[in-house]
Amino acid sequence: MIHVEDVHKSFGDFPALAGVSFSVADGRATALLGPNGAGKTTLMRTLVGLLKRDRGAVSIDGIDPDKDPMGARRNVGLLTDQFGLYERLTTREYLEYFGQINRMDKAAINRRIEEVTELLGLGEFLERHCKGFSQGQRIKVALARTLLHRPRNLLLDEPTRGLDVMSTRALRRALTKLREEGCSIILATHVMQEVTNLCDDVIVIANGRTVAQGTPLQLCEQTGIANLEDAFVHLVGTEEGIAA
Amino acid sequence: MMPQFLVVMIKELKEALRDKRTLNIMLMMVFMYPGLVGFMLHNQIQKATKTERTGIDIVMIGAAQAPNLANYLRQKSVNITEKDAMSEADIGKLLGEKKMAAVLKLGDKFGEYYGELRPAPMELWFDSAVEKQAQRRELETMLRDYGNGVASARMLAHGVSPATLSPFALQRFDTADSLTRSNTRIGFFLGMFFVPVCIFGLAAAIDSTAGERERRSLEVLISQPMRAIDLVAGKWLAASALAAIGLICELSVAHAVLKYLPLEEIGISWRVDLPTLALVIAAAMPLCLMVGALQVAMAMNSRTFKEAQATAGIVTFIPILPVMIVPALELNTQNWMYAVPLLSNQTMFQALATGQTLGALPYVLACALPLLLTAAAVGFAAHRMGSEKYVLGV
Repeated sequence: MIHVEDVHKSFGDFPALAGVSFSVADGRATALLGPNGAGKTTLMRTLVGLLKRDRGAVSIDGIDPDKDPMGARRNVGLLTDQFGLYERLTTREYLEYFGQINRMDKAAINRRIEEVTELLGLGEFLERHCKGFSQGQRIKVALARTLLHRPRNLLLDEPTRGLDVMSTRALRRALTKLREEGCSIILATHVMQEVTNLCDDVIVIANGRTVAQGTPLQLCEQTGIANLEDAFVHLVGTEEGIAA
Repeated sequence: MMPQFLVVMIKELKEALRDKRTLNIMLMMVFMYPGLVGFMLHNQIQKATKTERTGIDIVMIGAAQAPNLANYLRQKSVNITEKDAMSEADIGKLLGEKKMAAVLKLGDKFGEYYGELRPAPMELWFDSAVEKQAQRRELETMLRDYGNGVASARMLAHGVSPATLSPFALQRFDTADSLTRSNTRIGFFLGMFFVPVCIFGLAAAIDSTAGERERRSLEVLISQPMRAIDLVAGKWLAASALAAIGLICELSVAHAVLKYLPLEEIGISWRVDLPTLALVIAAAMPLCLMVGALQVAMAMNSRTFKEAQATAGIVTFIPILPVMIVPALELNTQNWMYAVPLLSNQTMFQALATGQTLGALPYVLACALPLLLTAAAVGFAAHRMGSEKYVLGV
């Protein structure tokens, strides 16, 4: 369960977040839409306590990341646009490293590596050094790391970029399963097909503010536009949203 | 469960030891410097024992005029090649070949003047740019001694005691033994053995901080449920561990080289035993911790590996300065020297290598400042790693 209420964050005079509010219940997948520079990265960093908000409230399963960032992070799996792979480690060693950092014991790490390997199809490159991995392989490994410690909340920034159709479908199935298991998922994306296929709700932010929240259907009804992409552009008030 | 800083440290070490760049630097430093010192000392030994083994090669012009002198020189291991007259150009050419230490030319009137008890003309030609000056000086001493002998005999023949010319009877007593001589002869080398400590872990310190930023993997790491101090400590200890491993290997190689060389030939000796070597290494551990911490604290502020090489390179250079400057000042050992990182290790190694017993104070001083600087650097790095400004830069 992720709850965000009227969060503000400024860097000097620049308001990166100027009143973001939304809730993501357990077992729900929510798409986070917004043009480039809307404040998505700042929001994600605020949710895991890397940045401290100026005002407002944030709760990750009841934990305030400003007060207990370690507690909040234990319940979060974060996938940003930085994959964070190490070229001189194998995929298995990489996953073991993050498992240990997340205080998992050896047996649990091995068990989870088997599970995520099956879930994301890592088998071919599990024992290979990460150097020279394709974009698809890199994102799969990064996703495996995100899911390894069974977080109750997932913050995913464009998880399907660079994936082929088969891998994208596999990822969708994996996320659907996680949602059914009760995970809250926030999915920052620019791909509307992903939103309609995977997400229960949509949050649209622009200029650091929440401009709309609801189901895809509700957004279309709210704007009076049948196509979600057009509705999004209308809400954001610029063509920039689809340019990205 | 393993502490998080240990998890990070082991991962960083694993990566560093798989990195050819780090390994090559380590191997080069471990073998290059002890090898260089060994080579220089070996050369000194070779030079010192060369005369004894092969004698001094000279050309003597007009030797027929002074057969006794020639025989005297031959008895003193001087290999004489007799020649008739040679032009200045020929002499210069001969010496330029660097085979002869000198050309001893007796003047045409040598025999005549010698017989008349007048100073007999004699010329010594040498090339001061050629490395045979010790042999040339040795030859001059022989000529002086021979001349003194002849002068004494002449004085006796005239009823004058040769002792008249020696108002003093000077005797020399050198209280230095081979150990203390070692101190001055190889003290500088000993200090230089600690310089690579600043280089062994440098690549790993940079790769694990600026390198992570450049590869864009640091954000993932700082988003994990791990305190900044654990992350920094892991990276710091990995860099310091490499510095310590490198130092242990390097000093072991140096110890083997110095034990193997016949240093007695040049009047010095290497009597450091393994427990003393272990003590020197143990006293250098705070230095390793300090260097790793400073390198991580400096390198983490750079965005690229190359940029960090410049900033963290400063840390490498600063501790080396006292080791270069202080020995040149030829100061006696003072307690403050034990308080300066790296210089303290050099001073301590010199003292222990020359058989001195050190009290507790030098050890306390040698540990104090490095440990204080380590704490400051790690504290700064952890604070910076956790700051918003840093997060925005990754």
